Amino acid sequence: MSTDAILLQALDITKSFSQDGTPAQALKGVSLGVAAGEFVSLVGRSGSGKSTFVSVLSTLLKPDSGQLLYNGQDLALAGEAEIDAIRHRDFAVIFQFHYLLPYLTALENTLLPFMRGLRPVTRVQKARAFECLERVGLADKAQRLPGQLSGGEQQRVAIARALVKDARVLFADEPTGSLDSATGATVMELLAGIRGDGLSVVMVTHNEEYARLADRVVRMEDGLVV
Amino acid sequence: MNILTIALRNARKKWVRTSLLLLVFSLGVVSIVALSFVSRVVGEGLEKKLVSFGANILVSPKSEKLTVSYGGFALGDMLFDVTYLDEAATEAKINAIALRKNISVIAPKLVVLDRVAGVPAAIVGVRFDREKLLKGYWTVAQGDFPTKPEGLLVGSAAAAKLGLKLGDAVPLAVAGGGSAGSQLVVQGILAPTGSEDDNVLLGDLGYLQRVTHRPSKVNFVEVAALCSACPIDDIVSQLGTVLPDTEIKTLRGIVQQRMVSVLFVKKLILSVSLVILLTGCSMVGISMLSAVNERKKEIGILRSLGFSRRSVFAIFSAEAAAVGLLAGLVGYVAGYFVSFRILAVLELESTAPLPFEPLHLVATALVLALLTSLASLFPAWKAASIEPSEALVTL
Ligand SMILES: Nc1ncnc2c1ncn2[C@@H]1O[C@H](COP(=O)(O)OP(=O)(O)OP(=O)(O)O)[C@@H](O)[C@H]1O
Ligand SMILES: [Mg+2]
Repeated sequence: MSTDAILLQALDITKSFSQDGTPAQALKGVSLGVAAGEFVSLVGRSGSGKSTFVSVLSTLLKPDSGQLLYNGQDLALAGEAEIDAIRHRDFAVIFQFHYLLPYLTALENTLLPFMRGLRPVTRVQKARAFECLERVGLADKAQRLPGQLSGGEQQRVAIARALVKDARVLFADEPTGSLDSATGATVMELLAGIRGDGLSVVMVTHNEEYARLADRVVRMEDGLVV
Repeated sequence: MNILTIALRNARKKWVRTSLLLLVFSLGVVSIVALSFVSRVVGEGLEKKLVSFGANILVSPKSEKLTVSYGGFALGDMLFDVTYLDEAATEAKINAIALRKNISVIAPKLVVLDRVAGVPAAIVGVRFDREKLLKGYWTVAQGDFPTKPEGLLVGSAAAAKLGLKLGDAVPLAVAGGGSAGSQLVVQGILAPTGSEDDNVLLGDLGYLQRVTHRPSKVNFVEVAALCSACPIDDIVSQLGTVLPDTEIKTLRGIVQQRMVSVLFVKKLILSVSLVILLTGCSMVGISMLSAVNERKKEIGILRSLGFSRRSVFAIFSAEAAAVGLLAGLVGYVAGYFVSFRILAVLELESTAPLPFEPLHLVATALVLALLTSLASLFPAWKAASIEPSEALVTL
């Protein structure tokens, strides 16, 4: 894999959290390169630092040291507006607990990335959101609130929201973690299908079977990639 | 659908909290709006009374002693030392002052002391056309306003005390020397007014001047200004300049006292309303603050979707502003109707209809929106400073 094909690169990332006064190092110098269109799974024992690493990769958490390069740009040097723009345009995040806004319908939650400003959501964007809901099999439940959906359905809405904006990198932290195995399998199928879109995917999972769907499996242990 | 949808949907979802806030703010607005409407009507009513209750300014010859008085004019002095003003000259001078446009009525008066069946009585010569303007509250209980020059209008108490009825003749036996055999006739009896007019007999000024041989003489002149707010003090000083040998007094007594109490009540209610609004503001602040803590995850999601800090700030501010805006609209309209009820209870509805001013409605709503957004400034800032990781990392 040539370096210039690498879309997102983490170099020697460290991050520690101070717990009860004593600092605990969650990441002890982790490096990872993700190529455009590549599907990477992160596996490892609980507490090994996977979530922390994904948060750093997705710009949601600032590392203590190390470099994060996106498209060759050092994100530590980027301004807040630039980071916001990257999060908005290029990154999509799916969490273990399908974070939807409880007072917006499935369709509106899917449209959320387009609701950043005063400019109203366009017809085209709406059609696109509906398409994404269709793709995750929820077209008939577009007008439901999250509370009226099952856990698996909520996670699928979160996936639709991640798909709606043509992101370049999708981060998924245990997307099937809160779902039963059958529902998890459907969600996994969807994520595997997304690869066809040319999207890079970084997925944390405890499920070895799902991890094997990836192009590459990265194993973490005690704050380090092994 | 845009960023405001997020704010409004949340407000709708948390409808109990939203309606509670709405209630408090609307209540504050209702009381302020109703208060300002009612006090305006009451104030206007009092102003009208201020004119109708009698003269604002009394112009009289300079005198030292004050004993029996009518309209502030000392009757007692007249027995010994009677001084007069010249009616035409005084009126001409009053008409010439710069603030003439603020003067509604000039009412000259001549007081003649008489005896009716042995009882001393005062006959006050007036120009009835002007006096009627000055004393809008006069109602004639029996008969009518005098039509004949020798006609008399008798105050209710005087009529009772002197036993005067319609058509009774009142011979003029004046100490100051009147034409022999002058006969006045009772043509009307006033309903009680609660003023000094109840105790006197009122006759035609021109006729009395003639029969008492005091042509163009008057004892004093009452001057009514058009309003309570107009520059009485300036009018007085201008009158003093043109009429240097006179005493000029302002008589605004009771009505002004009432005006003062209305103002006091107004201030009181205004401060209560402000307290209500302040309470509402702190309610908004506190509830927003707890909402920010509850909604940390939401904020994290929004930030992870590329919402800027400013957008997050805007969502929380917009929610607060929406509450204020709605409370302003509802409160203003409700206050408008509540003031009708209050005026009905106060039996003041006959006054001119309240103008519904859309511009004030809009202004009220905007001011309230501003107030609630200010109240949520800190919570919104807190929300904006939440880091996405803080909100999303689950342990
Ligand atoms: N916000 C935080 N404050 C304090 N310590 C934290 C925080 N987040 C993570 N840690 C610590 O960092 C280490 C790595 O946590 P992390 O959540 O990255 O693990 P993980 O690999 O995702 O585990 P799991 O598989 O259970 O999700 C853990 O020891 C954890 O206690
Ligand atoms: Mg984790």
